[in-house]
Parts: sequence; C-alpha cells; structure tokens
Amino acid sequence: MKLEPIIKVDKLVKTYDGNNVVDGVSFEVKKGEIFGILGPNGAGKTTTLEMLEALRPIDGGTATIDGIDVAKKPKDIKNIIGIQLQSTAFYDKLTLREQLKMFGSLYGRTVDTEALLAKVQLTEKAKNYVEQLSGGQKQRFAIASTLVNNPKVLFLDEPTTGLDPQARRNLWDLIKEIRDEGITILLTTHYMDEAELLCDRLAIMDSGKIITIDTPHNLIQQLLARGFKKEQVVEQANLEDVFIDLTGKAIRD
Amino acid sequence: MKKYWIGIFGQVRAQQKRFVRDKMALFFTFLFPLIFLLVFGSVFSNDSTSFNIAIVNNSQTEFAKSFVKNAKENSKDSILKIKDVKDMNDAREKMKRSELNGIIELPSDFGAIKNNGNHPIPTGTMNVIYSKGSEQTGGALVAVMNQITNSINSQMGQPEAPLKAVGKAIGDEQLKSFDYMFTGLLTFSLMSMGIFGLSNQIPAEKKRGLYRRLRAAPFTSGQLIISTAIHYTTISLLSLVMMVIAGTLIFHFNMRGDWALFVMMSVLSAFMTVGVGLLIAGLSENEDQSSSLSNLISFPMMFLSGTFFPLHLFPEWLRSVAQFIPLTPVTDGFRLIMTEHASFMEVLPQFGVIAAWTFAVYFLAIKLFRWE
Repeated sequence: MKLEPIIKVDKLVKTYDGNNVVDGVSFEVKKGEIFGILGPNGAGKTTTLEMLEALRPIDGGTATIDGIDVAKKPKDIKNIIGIQLQSTAFYDKLTLREQLKMFGSLYGRTVDTEALLAKVQLTEKAKNYVEQLSGGQKQRFAIASTLVNNPKVLFLDEPTTGLDPQARRNLWDLIKEIRDEGITILLTTHYMDEAELLCDRLAIMDSGKIITIDTPHNLIQQLLARGFKKEQVVEQANLEDVFIDLTGKAIRD
Repeated sequence: MKKYWIGIFGQVRAQQKRFVRDKMALFFTFLFPLIFLLVFGSVFSNDSTSFNIAIVNNSQTEFAKSFVKNAKENSKDSILKIKDVKDMNDAREKMKRSELNGIIELPSDFGAIKNNGNHPIPTGTMNVIYSKGSEQTGGALVAVMNQITNSINSQMGQPEAPLKAVGKAIGDEQLKSFDYMFTGLLTFSLMSMGIFGLSNQIPAEKKRGLYRRLRAAPFTSGQLIISTAIHYTTISLLSLVMMVIAGTLIFHFNMRGDWALFVMMSVLSAFMTVGVGLLIAGLSENEDQSSSLSNLISFPMMFLSGTFFPLHLFPEWLRSVAQFIPLTPVTDGFRLIMTEHASFMEVLPQFGVIAAWTFAVYFLAIKLFRWE
C-alpha cells in the first residue's frame, strides 16, 4: 500500500543566536499514519513542530502540508491543522461546551459539541469548567479542542507528559481512534514505550538533526542485526505490566 | 469576512460569560464606582452656601436674649446654622478647627434702650468675628448680618435706606457643585474602566499562555482587539448607566442637555478609552509593565484633562498641553452637554477630537499588539 505523503519537510532550519536549533531536518509523513518525533529534551522537537504549525518563522528550507506551503500561506495551514500545545491553558469560568463553541468560532465554524465531548468521553462533564478536570481529562479535552475544525493533520506536542499509566493508555487509544478516522497525526515524545506502542513510524532526533527514520519494529531489527545484545535476558514482562495487571486498565479521573 | 466576525463574536460571548461569573470583576465594575460616587457625592452635594456660626451673648438685655432665641429658632431653614458653644474661648477653638465659619459676638451693651427722640428703641453693634484669611466668608457673613439687622430696623419703624443694591441670579436653575463634579466622575469612571480594568487582564492572560491556543487558529490580533473592545465598551457603559441612575436618584443630578447627545458622547468616549487600555495591554509583556505604563498614562491624564480641577486654574502653557490629552475633550464634552445645554454643533469639535484619538489609538493597538 503506497500512501501519498501529506507533510513534506525539506532541509528545515531554525536559528537562534547563530545556533541552528533545527539543523536541516527533512522527513515525510504519510496520510493517515501516526508519525512520532522521538528525542531528548532540547533536541528541537517542539521548535520543528511550531514551524510546521506556522507559529514560528521558518529560517531555511521548505515545508508543505497537503500541498500548501507553510511559510507562504500560514492562514490556510492553520485552517487545516489541529494543534495541541505542550501545555495548553484554557479560559477559566467557561464550561467545556462553551469552550468548544468558542474554539469553533476561531475558525468561523459551528461545532457539534456533543459529538466531540462523547468522542473524548467527557459528555457528563459538559457543564464543568476546565479547572475542575483531572490531568487526564484535561488532556483529552485538549485533544477535543483540536478537532473543532475537522483538521487533516493533528499536531500533538508530548501529549501524555505528566499522566498516570491508565490515563496514558486511554489517550493512546483515543489517538489511534482519531488516526483510524483518517486524520494524520504528528507527535513528539520522549517516552520509548509511547514511541514503540503508538507510532506507525518514528524519527529519532537529537541536537537539531534527525538521525534515523523507520518503523519502531524495523529500528529494533536493525539494531539487532548490527549484533546488539542486552546484557541481561529481558523478562517477558516489566514493572509497568505488573502495575497495570494489579491496578487495571480502567481510567481514573 | 463572515468568518472574521464569527471569530470576533465567539470571543465576545466567551468574555461576557466569564465576566458575569467573575465576582471580582463585577465588584470593580459596579460596586466600586458606586462607592466612589457615594463618597464624592456626599462631599460635594453639601453645597457650602450655609455658614456654621456661634452666637456669644455678653449682654443681659431682653432684646439680646430674644435675638438669640429667634436666631436659634429660625436656624433650621436659614443659611445660618447655629452651633452651641460654652464661651468665647470654646468658639474660637472651634473656628480654628474650621467647625465654625464665624462667631457673632453681642457686646454687653447690645440691645440697651436708648431714647432716640420720642421712641425708646434698642441699639447696639454686633461683632462678626472670622479667621484671618477667610475674608470672603467674613464679608458674606457681615452682609448677611447687615440684612438681618436692616429688616429688624425697618420693623422697628426705621425708614428704609434711600439707596439699595439687590442681587439676582440669572441663567438656568442653579448649578449645584455636585452636577459639575459628577461629569468629572463619569469621565474618571470611563478612564478607570478602560485603562485599569483592561490593562491588567490581557497581560495576565498572555502570561498564562491563554492566547497561544487562539494564535494556533486562523485568528488575528485585530479580531482579538475588536472583540475585547466590544466587550469592555459594553461593560464600561453599563457601569456609566448605573452611575447616572445612582447620581439622579440619590443626589438629584440635574441633566440640562440632550440625553441623545449624552449617549453618543458616552459611547464614543467609552470606545476611545478602552482603546487606550488595549494599546497599553497589547504592548505590555506582563502585568508589571502594563500597570506601570497605565499609571504613567492615566495620572497626568486625570489631572490635566480637567476631570477634577477646572482647566482655567492652570497656567497658560499647561492649558495648551491639556488640549492634546485624549481625555480633555471627553471632560469638556460631558460638561458642555450636561451642565451647559450645548447643541450638537457646539460639541462637534469635541466629537471630532475624540474620533481622531479613537482612530489613532486603535491603529496603534492593532499594529503594536504582542501575543506573548
């Protein structure tokens, strides 16, 4: 199955004080996949994302989303993408339903708030304020707020940072559901398990450069093919498996 | 274009909902100006055309006694309010503390009967004592006392003086000092709502990162500024309406001019002052910057625009500076309409200057806006 790339990034550069924070990054994201940028803090993941989201000027190279040049038509780009910022702040004293309507108005749209809230399992919280939500609920709501304009591409910046294991798994399921509806997802993470379990393909980024791009499975196979062996035999389960087995998968909000 | 306005009104609705749920904001919009009005109103509505005086009677004559008695009985609806004192020393002490405007001293021979021809009539000279430096009050008090003695004299059959002078007030009904002060208070309320209310909120929301999500959408700074202007103009007008109602009910504010003209002036002025607040808020990166900037701008504005002190008290050069302050035409316009019954043509210059400031302020606010 050969899918058309929806995002094309070619030699993207961002310079701060003479340093290339993003240093000639190139990659393509296929339609309908979850593409992850994995890297340590300060690798340039967020900066790369913000350039693609038309939130930061591009200093070099080009990027297109769905055939639209990001640098030339930032407003058209913003219309077809959804953005979840690393830490989204919401207006206080505004119910979830009112927030979604307000977000819709930013795009000149009216929103089916009930369907959106149902999708992120927050129907019974419709009349609550965001400040009354738990961390996991807030993150799910943030994702709902990115869907108000029926985006073609969703950008998620470290979506599960700070969540407990149950809430993370719940959010992964939600992200996969959204992908299955045909929305392309580009996310950043520094969690290995997230990269391995959630992403269809991965770019590993460090010091502003992309080191390698492939599926998680292929990346592991390539490493093993190079003769890599762990010092200890890996047990068939890890502590997180124990934790989830004992505490259950059910979401705790 | 339609999407542009959907975005704006989406924000207006969100801001209105948050506003009515915010007790602090409600307090500062409605209760605080009311408290302010009550304090200022009670100070100024007390028109100081009455005198607090004490009568010190050193005379034992019947006439002197009945004079004091009559004076006290008539004190209620007279402009002379008579206060009780123990003796002259007590009275002087009270005058020093400004509790008294003057002292009427009846000397020991006051009211002594003198045979003037065939008619035995009481005579005497009373002393009107006042503090050095308050000659104006003293002069007025002497005139009042002369009037009283003249009427007693004529009652006792003295012929009327051949030449007299009588004062007559002209123009509209008397302009109370409250009415004058009230127009200044309305201007002050517009300014504080526009500048202080706004310039705090927007930088605080910038700092909390609230606008980052707006920016992620195809939403412009112009849309944010227009929506905020609509919201804040509405609430500062509501606050103004409440003050006008309270001023009319409690202090009997007397509107001389045209209500329609007053409404037009209020709407334009509120929109303009909100624009000044938006300019400050948009420029500032955080609350510290915005609060020092808004103090820097609003204090000279308040004092130089004639809001609290009439401009004619200022030296010539300061008066010409005052003409370039955006609040000056607002103060002038309100006064002309509300206390001088000005017509539209008479306040056209004020409308023109405010409109010019409105354009300038909003142009700069949109140009200089910073998202973070």
